[in-house]
Amino acid sequence: MNKQLYKLTLCVVLLSLFLAACQPAAAPTPTAAATQEVVAPTPEPAKPTEPPAAPPPTEPPAKAEPVDLEIWVGASVSEAGQPPDDWAVYQIAKDKLGINLKIVLLPTAQTDADAKINAAAAANDLPDLFQVNREPWYRLVQNDLIATVDDLLPLMPDRTKILYSNDISNKLVTIDGKLYGLPQPGALPRTDALVIRQDWLTKLSLEMPKTLEDFTTVAKAFTENDPDGNGKQDTYGFCGYIESEGVGLLPGLGKRFEWVFGAFGLNGAWNLTSAENFQLNVRDPNYLKALEYIKSLMDAGVVDPDWPTLKKDEFRARWKQGKCGIMNEHFAALANKSNYADFDKNFPDGEWVVMSPPTGPEGKSSMGADLTNVRIFAVSKQAKDAGKGEAIARLLEWMEGEEGYYLIGFGTEGVNYKKDENGFVTTKDIDPEKAYTHKSQQPLTQLRNMVFNNNEIEMKARYVAYKTANGREMDPLKYLEQYRAQPWTEATGWSIINPPPGGADFTRFYSENLVQFVLGQQPLNEQTWADFLAGLDGMGAKDYEAEAKATLQISGFLK
Amino acid sequence: METIGNTFPPISTGKVVPLAPLTWRERVRGLRRAIWKHRAIYLLMALPLLYFLVFKYWPLWNTQIAFKDFKPTLGVEASPLIGFKHFATFFKSYYFGQLLGNTLIFSVAKLILGMPLAVILALAIYESSFRFLRKVTQTMAYLPHFLSWVIIYGVLLALLSPGSGMINEMIKAGGGQPIAFLTSPNWFRTVVIGSDIWKETGWSTIIYLAALLSIDPLLFEAAAVDGASRLQRIRHISLPGIASVIVVVTLLRLGNILDAGFGQIFVLYSLPVYSVGDIIDTWVYRQGILEFQFSLATAVGLFKGLIGLTLIFFSNKIAKRLTGSGIY
Repeated sequence: MNKQLYKLTLCVVLLSLFLAACQPAAAPTPTAAATQEVVAPTPEPAKPTEPPAAPPPTEPPAKAEPVDLEIWVGASVSEAGQPPDDWAVYQIAKDKLGINLKIVLLPTAQTDADAKINAAAAANDLPDLFQVNREPWYRLVQNDLIATVDDLLPLMPDRTKILYSNDISNKLVTIDGKLYGLPQPGALPRTDALVIRQDWLTKLSLEMPKTLEDFTTVAKAFTENDPDGNGKQDTYGFCGYIESEGVGLLPGLGKRFEWVFGAFGLNGAWNLTSAENFQLNVRDPNYLKALEYIKSLMDAGVVDPDWPTLKKDEFRARWKQGKCGIMNEHFAALANKSNYADFDKNFPDGEWVVMSPPTGPEGKSSMGADLTNVRIFAVSKQAKDAGKGEAIARLLEWMEGEEGYYLIGFGTEGVNYKKDENGFVTTKDIDPEKAYTHKSQQPLTQLRNMVFNNNEIEMKARYVAYKTANGREMDPLKYLEQYRAQPWTEATGWSIINPPPGGADFTRFYSENLVQFVLGQQPLNEQTWADFLAGLDGMGAKDYEAEAKATLQISGFLK
Repeated sequence: METIGNTFPPISTGKVVPLAPLTWRERVRGLRRAIWKHRAIYLLMALPLLYFLVFKYWPLWNTQIAFKDFKPTLGVEASPLIGFKHFATFFKSYYFGQLLGNTLIFSVAKLILGMPLAVILALAIYESSFRFLRKVTQTMAYLPHFLSWVIIYGVLLALLSPGSGMINEMIKAGGGQPIAFLTSPNWFRTVVIGSDIWKETGWSTIIYLAALLSIDPLLFEAAAVDGASRLQRIRHISLPGIASVIVVVTLLRLGNILDAGFGQIFVLYSLPVYSVGDIIDTWVYRQGILEFQFSLATAVGLFKGLIGLTLIFFSNKIAKRLTGSGIY
């Protein structure tokens, strides 16, 4: 009896495992209750800027079968989860637009997201619409896996007017005169700049540094003269890290030292000033001088020695612990309420002020490269071939309309947010637990990057002015305003340059050597520098430059 | 008369009954009957067998893309054949020698240093007569295995950071200069190998402990009665008793000799230490997966597999000849 029971159980377990493995993942089924929660937005007579109130121009065919659409998108809030199964957007998409929507959030680390998309592409199983970084996007286009979208733009006139009418943005997704992606506005430009501890300057009776020499002097004093007065030598003049993301194909030392290169008239990897001058910036003799300056900072011990290995979060933990006197930091990472709170608690008198980039020997200065960014949304060729293009356009147009825009950007009006008398989004008089900014509600706005266009409503809603626990008035947008008032180097064309010929080996050779030079792991002099350049040439740098130049000239970024 | 080994009882009749050779049909029928008789066991085996078929053997069919210019739109079969081009790309790549060297250094060092330590720890735990101490040691030794490399990176940073790491604080207090353990090419390999040993030694003892427990305790008792010291018992009973397991574990590790621990290196390495830290797998990740060169990644995978297989084949032969035990 027992034996029979054992066999039967085994068979049932095996069978259920097979069935579970074979069953396709179920798309979220919105409940009826979710529909009722959606409050039809009332048209606002006075709004500061867009979005438009126009309804979607195309309605689904009356009795057509709903179209299945799978979208992969980067989470707007990395630490929050997937939109809930009863998300109102699912129901509206089904009822109004005839679309069964499935949302998959991409991993937050850029390389992880790239790897996921590449794996799906290799299996020829890309989702219908997906957010993708430019490098993998370029390779997918080369492999004929991404469809052109020029014909979709007339199907979404309002969205096109707001988001896809910028010539520069469109160029970033154009190959051979065809649009291979929808260029959603990317991260804000000019968001990372130098800030300095004003309270340390005051305590040590130092002036704001104006030149590179001043910078060294102040950084030394911040390192050696105990600016926090704790009796220990546990502070550094400058803190940083090497980011692997958002710095183009040749990251080098990353963004944190860009102000040094700016002082020598060089920003980013390329000289984009004119077709005549176009080349890799490392070929300019001033590049060597900039590296020598950075090395002098390392040798003086005024830079946090962990910078080459630190991850972004650890770097941020350090300035919040009062280890850093000067840094190159994102305005929101510095000044948004949740980010500033720890620093405010630890150092009630601490004060970060914006510092102009120091000038170099020839009086030049620049905070960094000013790039127009886009978030590329691509339509897979498979989806287009299956006739899903029209449904994608229908969905995207609805998203940018009044209903979609507010629902995706801020949740349900009256529940998650309100509009003030000027039409700005606010959480005043909203149950704090339900406010769209509350952690528990953040999954509702995970797709906001698909609708946001950096208008005033968003900026005011995202970067709210506040008073800290210690009574300090903070306004992240004021920091941004000051950041933008600094000198920057226009370098948008940089984004359009395609990957180098040797791929990862070229990138490694370039970046690894630069890091080794400044860390003193290999001597930095005319001879070693010449060897480095010869090494780059040996890996095809000259061909790469010629190819990049041609790309830039065709697209009009280089005259 | 002295007999060696098992002997069958004599057949009582004294007559030898010749067995008729089995026909092919009878053999199949016999097999069918045997399978049906032990069907529960075979059913139990079906799932792991299926796992190997689906996840280990079926993908072998797809390794053909190593010899093709794989285009997802064309599929595996229809992609054009290009021969050994991807293998040549890998062998001629700028950093090939360095990648192979680093991979072998990490892999061999982890094997050579890690295994004896695991055996010593297993012997120590086995020999300990304090039950409580034994349990505590075992638990503490197993624990690091369950921590992900990301967490261990955090621990290492807190210990080794030249700015505020505990070890560097001690060096500074002793009047020395702080050492950039994680970013110095002179120290990085030591950190990688050391942290791997710290993380995995405890976990590796499990198999040796199990082997030690399977040794007949009578042997130890007899040796003790004969006056063998503890070290002599270890040398003449414990070690020979687990020698076959050590051989098997080593052979299995040799099969993965070109796997130097992607997860660990990926988390710990940074630009200043690429020259001593970059391994084949991290290169494949950057050049193959991120650059959308899946054929190249597959070619490297195949190369690694072939090297592993060859090593297992020959080392198994040698092990069998030397110790009489192997994995097959």
